[in-house]
Amino acid sequence: MTEDDTPRSDGGRSVDTTTAEADAVEADAATAAAAGADAPDAETGGADGVDAGVRPAESNATDAFARDEPSVEEDAEPGRRETPTPGGDSAEARADSEPAASTGPVTTTVRSATLRSTNHWVGFATLAFLAGGLGVALRSRSLLLAAVVGVGYLAYANVTEAPEPRLAVERTLSTERPEPGDTVEVRVVVENVGETVLPDLRIVEQVPEALAVTDGPARTATALRPGARMTFTYSVLARRGAYEFDGLTVMARNASGSRERECDLSTEPISITCLAPIDATAAVPLRGLTSPYTGRVSTDTSGEGTEFASLREYQHGDALSRIDWNSYARDGTLATMEFREERMATVVVVLDLRGAAYLQAGEDGLHAVDRGIDATRRIFNSLLDTGDRVGLAAFASESVWLAPGAGATHQARARDLLSTHPALSPTPPDERVYVRWQLRRLHQRLDDDAQVVFVSPVPDDTSTLVARSLQVRGHPVTVVSPDATLRDTPGHTLAAIERSNRLNDLRGSGVRVVDWAGDERLGEALERARRRWSG
Amino acid sequence: MSGTEITRRPGRHSLVVSGVAGATAAVMVAAGSTTGAGVTVLGTAVVLSGVHTARHGVVDVGGLLAFVGVVFAALAEAPAPAVLLATAGTVVAWDAGTNAVSLGRQLGLEADTARPESLHALAGALVGLVTAVLGLVLFETGPTRQPITTVFVLLLAATLLLVALDR
Repeated sequence: MTEDDTPRSDGGRSVDTTTAEADAVEADAATAAAAGADAPDAETGGADGVDAGVRPAESNATDAFARDEPSVEEDAEPGRRETPTPGGDSAEARADSEPAASTGPVTTTVRSATLRSTNHWVGFATLAFLAGGLGVALRSRSLLLAAVVGVGYLAYANVTEAPEPRLAVERTLSTERPEPGDTVEVRVVVENVGETVLPDLRIVEQVPEALAVTDGPARTATALRPGARMTFTYSVLARRGAYEFDGLTVMARNASGSRERECDLSTEPISITCLAPIDATAAVPLRGLTSPYTGRVSTDTSGEGTEFASLREYQHGDALSRIDWNSYARDGTLATMEFREERMATVVVVLDLRGAAYLQAGEDGLHAVDRGIDATRRIFNSLLDTGDRVGLAAFASESVWLAPGAGATHQARARDLLSTHPALSPTPPDERVYVRWQLRRLHQRLDDDAQVVFVSPVPDDTSTLVARSLQVRGHPVTVVSPDATLRDTPGHTLAAIERSNRLNDLRGSGVRVVDWAGDERLGEALERARRRWSG
Repeated sequence: MSGTEITRRPGRHSLVVSGVAGATAAVMVAAGSTTGAGVTVLGTAVVLSGVHTARHGVVDVGGLLAFVGVVFAALAEAPAPAVLLATAGTVVAWDAGTNAVSLGRQLGLEADTARPESLHALAGALVGLVTAVLGLVLFETGPTRQPITTVFVLLLAATLLLVALDR
């Protein structure tokens, strides 16, 4: 359905009703009778759709349309769309929203252009004149004639210049909001809107770096007459993040291929936003530092709670429900039961997004930062689920900070940040990350009672410095470390041992470490770590 | 990262264009000299291997070799039309080959490049044919008593003029 609709530019209704007519004709006799009643309506609706401004009662047309469409769907091809349009409102909204995306190819602007010689015919002149000279010297007519042909080619190569391409481009995405792992089909229409013929046009699509092209090359070559257009499609694998398609590199050559003009064209941007799902992991083990509010972290403080801690002498004012009536029954003394207080924790999940953290074990699979961001999302959501206040921060080229909070809005905000923040892109940052400055800033921002979950592959001593620095300032640190090391070569083994030493150093300074192996689920790693800490 | 990698070499289609042009040249050369035909066939094979492995240098060497075959035929007093067609065929084979290599390097094996490649080869063949016919007609009808050197000097002058006009 959407494919049929895309070419229409104004008042989508007219197009729809014409298809309604066509479909009604195709339908068999029994349904044609039913559809026949609608067809005249459809026709008037169609006529009005073109000049909707003329007729004052536009709502009528909308009604007719709304009434028509379900019948069209039922009559023609029931399998074409699963759910018929529920009502006039959504049909109207669709008609309003779609023309924006289907105005046809839009003229591009040239960002930069370079003109160069391809050196394609270099050396050819030498050969042609050599043949000519040989023909003269040996008095061979045919060889001299061969030289004439060569000269003809030389003229062909030198008289024309590379054309200046003036192109209009339209991109259509199969979906603009895919789920991670979905395949998005990109359809590119290129039209020659200039006056000159483009005999050799090479088009390379500027696919956002982090997206992998899975089907069909995002490159093509063609020849375009003025006014002619061509279409090519390819598919990309969606991954978490927001990506914009806004450029096209074209190389236009003259017919002989001696000159080439390479242009970087800026096209109308179209973007993919791919949000990561809201999924949690097993309960995240937390440290003792808590806020004054009731939550789920058992503390050493005695008071109200559910887990029994001790008995003490009754003091005036203690709640009746906490008096140990058994002991009163036994010997008549009043005693008050103490429970471990359960408090809410404030946690800030800090990501390590420095260039050094972009490590990958082997050729395939996710790199450590991707796994880290994935872990951050799960930890964040599961902490929110258990009623803690959670915030986000990162050591990145840009400032990343989400103050600790709770609730659905907070969760949505974090989801958005984790999916689309430019600093969290799957490609390493170009700029330098100023760790010390950002660390100072983080210290200022952290609440006194906040604890930190530091997600880092621990690639170097800077990351251990960060963890220790936070720890000594009174924010208990749990390091969740995606393991990106291999042990297949001596060099890799050395790197793995170095990392393992760094983790041990951290453990020695009182930092809790979750070493998350590549083939392990996060929940397993956390559970393993929790058992070790509680044992 | 998963996804398709770019294979930086031309597709099968390019081989066909160069192969056909080279074969035509070889057939024409065979009208004058069998040795020449052999050399042209060898040259075409080198061109094809250069196209397949996307190496400009190899294609150039192949083109040169194919042309040496044409020279053989010309010196063996082959008929002038055959030599002219063989020259055009050689140039088209080499030209299509280099074009295919540049396309392959820029766009990769997976991209569909048949249309511009065919167009390029056709344009090249047309230019060759037109100049060959022109040259032949001039040579047959022109003042044949003139020393052959004069023609060559004229040729040179024409080329220089063209280059001067272009710059």
